[in-house]
Amino acid sequence: MAKKKHTTITHPHYACAIGAAYTVSAIPGAVPVINCGPGCVDQQYFTMSFCNGFQGSAGAGGGDIPGTNSGESEIVFGGAKKLDGVIKSALKIMKGDLFVVLSGCSPQLVGDDVASVIKPYREQGYPIVHAEVPGFKGNNLWAHEEVIIAIIDQFVGEAKGIRRRKKLINLWMGAPYFNTFWRGDIIEIKRILEAAGFEVNVFFGSESAGVSEWKSIPKAAFNLVLSPWLDLKVAKHLEKKYDQPYLHIPVIPVGEEATTAFLRQVVEFADIDNTKAEKFIEKEAKRYYYFLDHFADFFAEYWFGFPSKFAIVGDAAYNIALSKFLADQLGLIPVGQIISDNTPVKYREDVAALYNELSEGVYGNVEFIEDGYLIEKKLSEFDFGNSTPLILGSSWEQDVAKEKNAVLVEVGTIATEEVVLNRTYIGYTGALQFIEKVYSAAVSG
Amino acid sequence: MAKNIQLDLETVQNREMRLGSIISWDGKASELVELSRYEERALRHKGECPGAGKSGEGCRLCELNMPFNQQSMCANSIAACQAGNIRDCVLIQHSPVGCTARNPEFNLAFRNGLERRGIEPRNINIMTTNLLENDMVFGASEKLKRAAREAFERYDPKAIFFSMSCSTAIIGEDLSSIAAEMEDELGIPVAPMQCEGFRSKHWSTGFDISQHAVLRHIVNKNPKKQPDLINIVALWGTDYFTDMLKPLGLRVNYIMDIASFDELAQTSEAACTSTFCHTLGSYFATALEEAYGVPQIRAPQPYGFAGTDAWLRAIAKQVGKEKEAEEYIAAEHERVRPKIEELKEKLKGVNGFVLTGSSYAHGLISVLRDLGVTVDGSVVFHHDPVYDGGYEEQNTLKTLVDNYGDIPHFTVSKCQPFQLPALLSRVKADFIIIRHNGLAPNAARMGIPSFAIGDEHFPVGYDGMIRVGEAVLDVLARKKMNQVLKRHVGLPYSDWWLSQKDPFILAKHPEVLDETTKEVQD
Repeated sequence: MAKKKHTTITHPHYACAIGAAYTVSAIPGAVPVINCGPGCVDQQYFTMSFCNGFQGSAGAGGGDIPGTNSGESEIVFGGAKKLDGVIKSALKIMKGDLFVVLSGCSPQLVGDDVASVIKPYREQGYPIVHAEVPGFKGNNLWAHEEVIIAIIDQFVGEAKGIRRRKKLINLWMGAPYFNTFWRGDIIEIKRILEAAGFEVNVFFGSESAGVSEWKSIPKAAFNLVLSPWLDLKVAKHLEKKYDQPYLHIPVIPVGEEATTAFLRQVVEFADIDNTKAEKFIEKEAKRYYYFLDHFADFFAEYWFGFPSKFAIVGDAAYNIALSKFLADQLGLIPVGQIISDNTPVKYREDVAALYNELSEGVYGNVEFIEDGYLIEKKLSEFDFGNSTPLILGSSWEQDVAKEKNAVLVEVGTIATEEVVLNRTYIGYTGALQFIEKVYSAAVSG
Repeated sequence: MAKNIQLDLETVQNREMRLGSIISWDGKASELVELSRYEERALRHKGECPGAGKSGEGCRLCELNMPFNQQSMCANSIAACQAGNIRDCVLIQHSPVGCTARNPEFNLAFRNGLERRGIEPRNINIMTTNLLENDMVFGASEKLKRAAREAFERYDPKAIFFSMSCSTAIIGEDLSSIAAEMEDELGIPVAPMQCEGFRSKHWSTGFDISQHAVLRHIVNKNPKKQPDLINIVALWGTDYFTDMLKPLGLRVNYIMDIASFDELAQTSEAACTSTFCHTLGSYFATALEEAYGVPQIRAPQPYGFAGTDAWLRAIAKQVGKEKEAEEYIAAEHERVRPKIEELKEKLKGVNGFVLTGSSYAHGLISVLRDLGVTVDGSVVFHHDPVYDGGYEEQNTLKTLVDNYGDIPHFTVSKCQPFQLPALLSRVKADFIIIRHNGLAPNAARMGIPSFAIGDEHFPVGYDGMIRVGEAVLDVLARKKMNQVLKRHVGLPYSDWWLSQKDPFILAKHPEVLDETTKEVQD
């Protein structure tokens, strides 16, 4: 039975576990230290960052990441000594408040005892933790959670006697860098939550205070998981560890109606006064519809046509969020949704259920496929009718988009036709940018 | 004569063993020329050096042993960018999914390469067996066989390549046997590549491994000579070679990226072989010479006036077109001289710094110096003290030093961005030239613009000098942006490290780490 199962992958839409180096790199002041072969994290850089909107890096990312570059002698005689040398020098050479050692395939297979290499440094008080994330155990999303849990357990530590702050939220909304637009997304969600009176630990990116935010995890009133499945494991871990509740909102809000509903849900869960939130909502809605009002002219009377049917390929988070917005708010007809992030089997039913009603009377057609060859085959078989198809996907779908004369908008890993800085397609402001992007692509194509 | 390249063996000897390659060294270029002892080593390489000793210890080139590393490429990744970029073949990476994570970049290179050669761009087709934990425990041979059948059905390839990864090498997957079995079953060549990342300290061994696979499994064993065909071992570069070789009556056969199966197969039929970079091309050229009598061009690389002249003359001699070559050389000199003089005027007082693969850097420095740009420092990512060809005329570093003088700060280091501040503090650099990732972003943050040569043929030949000169002028203008960065962003290194003057202090005085450990504890 298992023998027949299709397992190969062409054109992968994710990195391996070592790609979670970029979960670390996204924390201001944190330094990943890679314990494995000479090319591992360099390879992941291309899937996670460079060929994903040419995001680049800040702090300890890209070429700056220290690593053991384990060679033949580390395989034969063990890699502990070399790792010790790299850690010892990394602690002096790299500017850092937190060092996270990520062990990959080779040390795991040869059985290196990494914990005992790190132990003396931990005993001396160095902020250093370790996560075992060999590529054969999972992809960068699996390891994203492993790394976060390692930091919580080995760095944040115990929380006895800590007082909760009613308005402090820990925000978990997926894997930095892997989400091409993570920097802009965090800014938008933080902006929205703060406007309602919350303080927000965002952990990653420009708006994070760095490791001090991580230290304050136990102080938060609750964990907000804004993602279909990723980071749920983190929230459950925190619930168990600190008896800290969590609110799971599986669909990232896009557009005024969804974002307003999202904010009201969070305010209600937090049980805080809603005056600020409502005032903010009023202001944001006014602005949002001022723009949508203008857009109505194009939408209503553009002569030359634009797509009316769409298909989407991408990770679960963006897949459902954008599908919902397009189907429910713009009235595009969903043809098919392919989730390419290897969503763990135990979550698949719940994630698929999110597509049951994308909008009133509009149903999804969702599938979980990781192999790019099969994804492209599927896309090429989709019936888009007479209008120009809209495909939301990655650079891997370029060829099939061309074959179908489709408009391709890159919305996730891999994106080599986009240069992404501070951009977001979510919330109030992001939705408008997303409309701009989709219809600019449509009218130029 | 003993052969350098053992095509009867399945595996390739690593560069560090075969050529004595090093990845960590610092000094004057002239010193490295001397220490490399190219000619003596060439003899030993052929097994003819009387004084080399049993283990070759007498020929060892000392290198600096650094306790700290940053990451760059590996041999597996290189094999993917070679065997995975052939138009009608398929590469299967026998590995967990992460070993394919650089492929999106190779896809960009492939698409650009197709366009440069006038072919419709499309995506690469590289598969991974996507191995998981159970495969590590129980083995994954069946998965590889299934993948081969799948590749055959999906893509109808002319040949299939298998590549080894760290994990599949450690668990002992037998690529060779599986390849042989699948070759029988599918009736097309199936070429295994033992390119696991940990096996060689430098990624360039990956070039040799992929070339070895092509030589053993694809190259036509019964060649019918094509006297007007010249092999150019290349990457994805623009076809500038045709312009230079047409006057000599030659057609160019580029290998290996962007090539088709047939183009690879016919390499044994060519009149001769050359390359834009001996680091890349020497293995293939030498193997073809030894196995099929296809001579390799005994010349330095075609960069700058001296290099291009010598290269063209060597090819002309090989194909009996000396007269045509002399006419072409004279006409070209006359044509490009005024433009080069103009560029020299504009580039007066400009300082450049080159950080690229080994012999390519030697060529680039020649071009810059012909343009009157000062180059007092360079980083090469490894150094081969000798190439497989072993011909005196191919000693590119010596050619550079002989023709253009010494380089006072010549560094061998495998893409280590942490060394960049110290390296750039020793010399003046108005711009850097790079190809590999990881270094230029930090130069950028230090206020120095970079010329990222994606089209590696850009500096080749007489026009290459003009192209480079004009590009450098454009790049210098970008300094504005770099100065903005310098004013507002920093590097991720400690003040202690940034105060160090010697990029190799950790190798020379590892005890400095202990001194600072105490400071940190206090």
